Amino acid sequence: MRAARIALLCGFFALAATPDAADSSFRVPVTYFKLDNGLRVILSQDTSAPTVVTALYYRIGFRIEPKDRTGFAHLFEHMMFQGSANLGKMEFIRLVEANGGILNGSTRFDFTNYFELLPANKLETALWAEADRMRSLAVTQDNLINQQGVVGNEVKLNVMNAPYGGFPWLYMPQYANENWYNAHNFYGDLKDIENAKLDEVQSFFKKYYVPNNAALAIVGDFDPEQAKAMVQKYFGSIPKGDVPPVPDLTEPRQEKERFASREDAHAERPAVAFSYHMPDRNTPEYYAMGIIDQLLAQGNDSLLYQELVKKKGYTGQVDAGINELGNMFNYNGPMLWTASLIHDPNVSTEQVMSSVDEVVGRLQAEPIDQATLNRNLTKLRSSFYDSLTQFSGFGRADLLCSFALFDDNPARINSIDDNFRAVTPALIQQTARDYLRKTNRTILTIVPAKKGAKS
Amino acid sequence: MRNTLSLVLGAALLCSPLLLGKDVPPEGAAPKPLHLSTTEDFSLPNGMKVTLVPYGAVPKVAIRAVVDAGRMREGQQQTWLSDLAGRLLEEGTESRSSTDVANAVADMGGQLEISTTRDATVAGSYVLTESGEKFVGLLAEVLMHPKLPDSEVARLKADLSRRLAVEKSEPASIARAAFLGKLYPDQPWSKIFPSEAEIAGYKIADVRAFYDANYAASRTHLYVAGKYGPGLRPAIEKAFSGWRAGKASPVPPTSAATQYSLQVIDRPGAPQATINMGMGVPPPKSPDAIPFEVMNTLLGGAFVSRITANLREKHGYTYSPVSLVSEAGHGSYWVQIADVTTAVTGPSIREVFSEIHRLRNEPPPADEVSGIKNYLSGIFVLRNTVSADALIRQLQGIDFQGLDRSYLNTYLSRVNAVTAAQIQQEAQKYLVPSKMTITVVGDKSKINAQLESFKTAPGE
Repeated sequence: MRAARIALLCGFFALAATPDAADSSFRVPVTYFKLDNGLRVILSQDTSAPTVVTALYYRIGFRIEPKDRTGFAHLFEHMMFQGSANLGKMEFIRLVEANGGILNGSTRFDFTNYFELLPANKLETALWAEADRMRSLAVTQDNLINQQGVVGNEVKLNVMNAPYGGFPWLYMPQYANENWYNAHNFYGDLKDIENAKLDEVQSFFKKYYVPNNAALAIVGDFDPEQAKAMVQKYFGSIPKGDVPPVPDLTEPRQEKERFASREDAHAERPAVAFSYHMPDRNTPEYYAMGIIDQLLAQGNDSLLYQELVKKKGYTGQVDAGINELGNMFNYNGPMLWTASLIHDPNVSTEQVMSSVDEVVGRLQAEPIDQATLNRNLTKLRSSFYDSLTQFSGFGRADLLCSFALFDDNPARINSIDDNFRAVTPALIQQTARDYLRKTNRTILTIVPAKKGAKS
Repeated sequence: MRNTLSLVLGAALLCSPLLLGKDVPPEGAAPKPLHLSTTEDFSLPNGMKVTLVPYGAVPKVAIRAVVDAGRMREGQQQTWLSDLAGRLLEEGTESRSSTDVANAVADMGGQLEISTTRDATVAGSYVLTESGEKFVGLLAEVLMHPKLPDSEVARLKADLSRRLAVEKSEPASIARAAFLGKLYPDQPWSKIFPSEAEIAGYKIADVRAFYDANYAASRTHLYVAGKYGPGLRPAIEKAFSGWRAGKASPVPPTSAATQYSLQVIDRPGAPQATINMGMGVPPPKSPDAIPFEVMNTLLGGAFVSRITANLREKHGYTYSPVSLVSEAGHGSYWVQIADVTTAVTGPSIREVFSEIHRLRNEPPPADEVSGIKNYLSGIFVLRNTVSADALIRQLQGIDFQGLDRSYLNTYLSRVNAVTAAQIQQEAQKYLVPSKMTITVVGDKSKINAQLESFKTAPGE
């Protein structure tokens, strides 16, 4: 088995979606409360296995990292594993693994998360350790130099030495967005990563890693009263901080189609990605886009699969979704719906896009029929169950923390279904017209570099 | 037959030695028992094996047919023919078009997934419980009465060829293919990539011949994990009882190279070198397999492991080094994988050797051993509880290796019985540097000089 990794992008998430239909009885238990210091706490029991997930989400994503320090939020995430008052380097990791657990962290658009999946009886151990590093980051210059090396290697592995490295997840937001917060290189310029200073690490910690900027979810087999008492015991005395206001993240309305192209030294076949700006989160149109995502690109029954793979044979698969670094629920700001595919050199970008236009045109021209809508609601419900159980409940913790941090309402997890079911064929058609317009679109192509020309 | 698998996770010991003056982590409560689900195992008269196992909290069920139609059944010059056959199974049945099949499975909350590995082709889906029985019927139709249309062959061959081009541009795939080719010379599973000409030459007749030879009841084991009702077993019996029996065939033997070798594959301009180094090790059925697994986890298989602590957390040479024990047929090999910054390719290999030598020369301290055993115990619980498909993979692996299902019942006690001395012995017996196969994919102009000292076998 692979060791757990500190990753920028955890690949755990398939596209998440809607909960149980009226005829199904599955509901997520949710207990929500706040400590006096502002820490948001969500408890959700699941006794189907003797394991427990502890997930701590801080409302600091890469969007709002310092402008001269691209990649800093992610570098900082690595530093959270380097030492705290009572746990020296490697001791946090050893504590979790030697108790039969796994752990990881990741940095996303609007949060950085840390989690442990442990045997159920080790909940207290995890809470103690997470509280210890929320209270006190104790890292050295050597730790920083070491993790600058590790993060540099992470970028080389996932971007610089990989065919289609960073395509489209890292690059598309840089072309499709205008606001720096949404449009910068969030993995980080290697020079910025190398220039980071130890005092910047400490001040970033003081600014953002405070209880009133965090949500803690416990999911699994535990006793709620005991868990409550443990959370109070370990987190209750951590002082709150002054969190800076979130800067203006808004994107101007896009009025003109954009095109971008990148040469790829490792790729052997061309590729194309296309993105549309999403409707604002939690609006009726946003839920309509959740259904459109299913309709267009999730599963072999989807319209783009049927057109681009089956009928035209341009590609073997279409990858698509809302939020390339997560799902349609775990972000809080401007977002893209993105699709991408690899094709052969004898197929042009124009051919691919004209097929896409034809498919999208159908959605815009007339409302879909009820059977098709029902099929896609079923797909949403099924994939929502997957999200809830993903990785022994970590998927559930992710939704609960996101809803607590961004909406102050984790119980939303049980009412999302109503929002999807309220979407009508007419609203889907209107949303397709308003948001799947070419002038709301960015097209990014990958062009294989001529081999032997340069390295 | 019914197997009841239930056990108690061994009490985890306290972790790390802590410095004076620091708070000690709370140990937690008493461990809760892990009740492994009861499997219901039976065979149909035509020889198809079936395993049902209840799992989970949400109303979904994973239904997967594992067919002995993987890459190891391909002939000479037939690499990826099994993949092509698998893809063609998605192209409709004698009575339904592929679009009809796709829509039908989507209505069940899933999609038809067919994947081909070295050992098997797996066809199935993870559908809503309410649709489990319906899906069983559809799966039987796909496996027993596929259309295998000639009209789709050219498109699917183009897909395979595109996939080949992509995989051959990924350093991890290049390294793996070269490493296995060297470790298992002239053996069916060691050929990871077909040639373009091979793919171009495949005809529908080849696919049909492959299908006829390999898709049959006695070569199939159907696994079901999740929530399902009493109607599922009869649905399976009804849907699959008409399938022809066919003939089971043995897993071909494997034999790993024991000759030291270093092969370097040029990737001009690469900012990292991708290292695969390893050798053949005790197979899953060997009494050495579990002690070896504990040794591997301590050496390079966990985040706290020695090689990861060294290469990553001490030196910053790499992001995600890992060592693992992997299977090839009924054999096993050990491999350490790392993508390291080009300039430290030589030093990285030297550090791996030094960690191997250290373990061969001295038994690991008791607290390190107990930590690793606890980690493996926890991972075992996860393997059996994290998802319906993880549970199926666990059962499938045990069945494929011909291990008794009691393997699961005794696993934890066998892990916990491994001693520090045994760990050292495993390293001494199997991790012999002078017998290692090493593959490096990187920028030759920058790594050749660094690799000079590894061109000949090291002493022991």
